[in-house]
Amino acid sequence: MQIVSVGTFWTLWLLVHLLFSVGLLGALTHQAMSAALPVRRAAGGIVTRFRAVSAPGYATAVCVLWVLTFIVGSYIYTKYRISVRIPLEQSGYFKTQGFFDFKEHVATLGLVLLPGYWYLWKNAQNPEYDGARKMVTLVLAVMCWFLFIVGHVLNNTRGFGS
Amino acid sequence: MNTATTNTASTATATAAATARAAPASLAASAKFKTFAITFSTFGPLIYCVCQFFNWPMFTFHPATNRLVWGYEGPRPGEGPNMLWYGWTGTTLLAAAVVGIVAMMLPEHMTKKLPLALMWLLPILAIPYIAYSLMPWWTH
Repeated sequence: MQIVSVGTFWTLWLLVHLLFSVGLLGALTHQAMSAALPVRRAAGGIVTRFRAVSAPGYATAVCVLWVLTFIVGSYIYTKYRISVRIPLEQSGYFKTQGFFDFKEHVATLGLVLLPGYWYLWKNAQNPEYDGARKMVTLVLAVMCWFLFIVGHVLNNTRGFGS
Repeated sequence: MNTATTNTASTATATAAATARAAPASLAASAKFKTFAITFSTFGPLIYCVCQFFNWPMFTFHPATNRLVWGYEGPRPGEGPNMLWYGWTGTTLLAAAVVGIVAMMLPEHMTKKLPLALMWLLPILAIPYIAYSLMPWWTH
């Protein structure tokens, strides 16, 4: 007995992937802004408040969310390979598919950065790590934005309801 | 006596709770973990590019038939495409973990020489290589 249709099943997993990725994007952007442009005085406008977060507190959440998003994305990928990629190729969307392949590589590059990233943030009191911590966080944030935008464009090309 | 026992018990409970809360901090304070984490994250992107270049997947997945085989296997006639990315990721995680474990066994004065900047520089340098490796998509 089927509780939900096959299409609904995969749509639900796509939504879970989306929710994890939104959480990850928010956490990483806050942390990267806080690391790159630290606030010297509290209060101020919305941009200052956006930067004025306790950045070390985000490290574990970012790692957990990256891994969860990665696992769910990897699961959806099995369906994507058959039901999305083949029609995309048949329709001539080669660059779109190229960007998806780019996305999968970048997701793995980000995954392997996590242990070092976590270590650097858990030792945030050590000034020796300041430069590396800031740069690794910025690299992860840029990767996350790239992954999110490519996923969004792909969903627009052939996602919900297709 | 009872009060003393209760106090001792509550102190032990508080200590246990504090130890449980402090567990991540102790991992982050470990010199061995530092060596593992920094080495894993520094060499991971490099290992991934090598795996992709030489096509060394740990396993191949065939999504149309749910067939999973060790190592590389090309697409089989009538069985749809093969997927290698899972296998490349698996090889990378395993190889980077081995490199990290080996680094943990080396003297600290050697592992300290690994520049921290490589951890963010290598993933950036990997991007042009990956873009180049996807050339067939851009020029199709």
